[in-house]
Amino acid sequence: MIKLRHLATLAIDACKQCGSVHASRPAVTVLSQSRSFFTGTCLTNWKKKHAKREAKKAEVHKYVGDNADRTTIVYAWGAADSGALGIPSYLRPNLKNLQRQFLITMINRPARVRFYDKQKMKALKVACGHGFTITSVKFQNKKFLLGCGINTDSQIGFHEAPKGSGRIMDQLIEPGRIRLPLQRPDHCSVVSMACGRAHSVVVVEDEGVFTLGNNAFGQCGRSIVEGEDYSKNPTINRVRELPDDVIKVVCGQDHTLFLTESGQVYSCGLGADGQTGSGHYKPVGHPVLVAGDIQGETIVSIGARADCSLAVSDKGDVFGWGNSEYGQLGLVTDLTQVNMAAHLPTSRCGRVVKAVAGGSLCALLNDAGQVFVWGFGILGKGPKLESTAEPSLIPEPIFGRNELNPDTRVVDIDCGLTYVAAINDQGDLYTWGKNSRGCLGLGEEKNQFFPWRVALPAQTVEFSCGSDHMAAICKSYT
Amino acid sequence: MSHIRQLQLTLAILKPDIVAQPRVLKSVWTRMLENGLYFVLSKQVQLSAVQAEQFYAEHRGKFFQDRLVYFMSSGPVWCHILCGDNVIGRWRRMLGPTKVLKTVFDDPDSIRGSYGLTDTRNCAHGSDADDTARREVGFFFPEFNFEEWYEKQHHLFQNDLVDFDPDKMQHTAILDTTS
Repeated sequence: MIKLRHLATLAIDACKQCGSVHASRPAVTVLSQSRSFFTGTCLTNWKKKHAKREAKKAEVHKYVGDNADRTTIVYAWGAADSGALGIPSYLRPNLKNLQRQFLITMINRPARVRFYDKQKMKALKVACGHGFTITSVKFQNKKFLLGCGINTDSQIGFHEAPKGSGRIMDQLIEPGRIRLPLQRPDHCSVVSMACGRAHSVVVVEDEGVFTLGNNAFGQCGRSIVEGEDYSKNPTINRVRELPDDVIKVVCGQDHTLFLTESGQVYSCGLGADGQTGSGHYKPVGHPVLVAGDIQGETIVSIGARADCSLAVSDKGDVFGWGNSEYGQLGLVTDLTQVNMAAHLPTSRCGRVVKAVAGGSLCALLNDAGQVFVWGFGILGKGPKLESTAEPSLIPEPIFGRNELNPDTRVVDIDCGLTYVAAINDQGDLYTWGKNSRGCLGLGEEKNQFFPWRVALPAQTVEFSCGSDHMAAICKSYT
Repeated sequence: MSHIRQLQLTLAILKPDIVAQPRVLKSVWTRMLENGLYFVLSKQVQLSAVQAEQFYAEHRGKFFQDRLVYFMSSGPVWCHILCGDNVIGRWRRMLGPTKVLKTVFDDPDSIRGSYGLTDTRNCAHGSDADDTARREVGFFFPEFNFEEWYEKQHHLFQNDLVDFDPDKMQHTAILDTTS
């Protein structure tokens, strides 16, 4: 094509030299001369294009009514080189399509994960870890679990492809099925799931709690085996020491918290900062009840992303344990580590419904839909780093409350290591904090110092914050 | 250059959090090579808790000793003997400060600033002085002899007569066939 154009311009130049303005004619002759050379490819291209046009004509457009089902769409953004986004073309570009031959290692805006659309799967829940994502999906009348991303600790299951070849994948760039040892493998209805640094935990209805991945600290709820090799390890553990009514699971980087329906919190995993809340600083290889002020309370929500853990009781009280190097538990203690749950005096924040803790910052949500933040880092209160132990309010207008929408409130928050995300009741997703590899999805690589809406063309239903990527399940507006 | 200083040796340990992420590991190695660090010896080891505690004996009694020990024994680590001009300082400057959650804001381009997760999971370790480097190299590479290396290999590295071998993950001497 380049050659052709070159010839054409030459021909036009020649005409200008001779003074006449019939530029089109010599160009056409040049084209017709070279057409014989290109005939084969031109013809097939023409055929292809024609077929495409005909197919488009045959398409019937239906306009959706008010009662139409809204499409579920999955978006993901952040670091892409681990494969955690589930978009294979970023890491293995289609070479037939010569438009792009380079890898995409990060993407700073929401990218639609077409896998679920192509496979006609409906995503129900999503959880992001450090470089991997697990999703629970509905396909026809089956439900199962998919995983993609880094698999060096077998955190997204045992994948052998082709079967029987001994070629075991340590990275999946497209979601692959995680086969849990269930009674009814096609009915994996997930109650809650969570991912840590190198392990993932799934609670399946009527079947129990299943853990995959690294168990070096007992975070999988089984006893620690010295020198165990976790790569290419097919072990999936069913945690038996837990009661049957586990409704929520939350993973820190290397520990796991379980919440039961009766309001008790169990923990296992790394306890070097006291994050298991068991009264000592040793790793715990089986779930134990969290000790301290939390006993006797009915817990409704738990949160942990790194080494600090928070819990909220039905009365709206906040309890915290674990790491406090950056003043996460500064309300009650000056120590850097707390190994038992301590009651945090957050009466100024109203009745708390959810509290989450990242690496150095914490956030809580009260029943009036207000978000309070404390700790160290970009808290979302202005263009400087802050360090405070006192929870402070982020003004509601930032989350979409204005004269026209006076009832808009935040309904859910979650926390990455150094960033926070929140959704309001209109389904708008807001993020702020350290923008490590574009994980905020704001189309920029700069840090965001106050909550800013992610440009998602759909209503966010559920989202999950990984260490350097995020995923959201959205519903289309119509 | 009329006078070339004697090259320094140091120990670098890449911790389990980045060894578990192949692409991050690769990019850290690329950074090290681009910055002109020479790999004298390399190996991958899996520490036991007892070994890790011996290695961090100097931190005994500090509040972070436990988590260092548990973390270092949680997976395979890569150990490298690095050499170069003022390599101890250069490697530590490349790493950035230890406190990752502060480093991500203060020094975001350093290795810890770009790949670190938390203060415990801080990517890598570097010896802080000549004598600790000797002790730590001796811990991981008991077969390595400093005096012998300075006698036999030092001039090769000093005159850049070495080539990187990605299979062994170390620099080997170029065999001079012309002379």
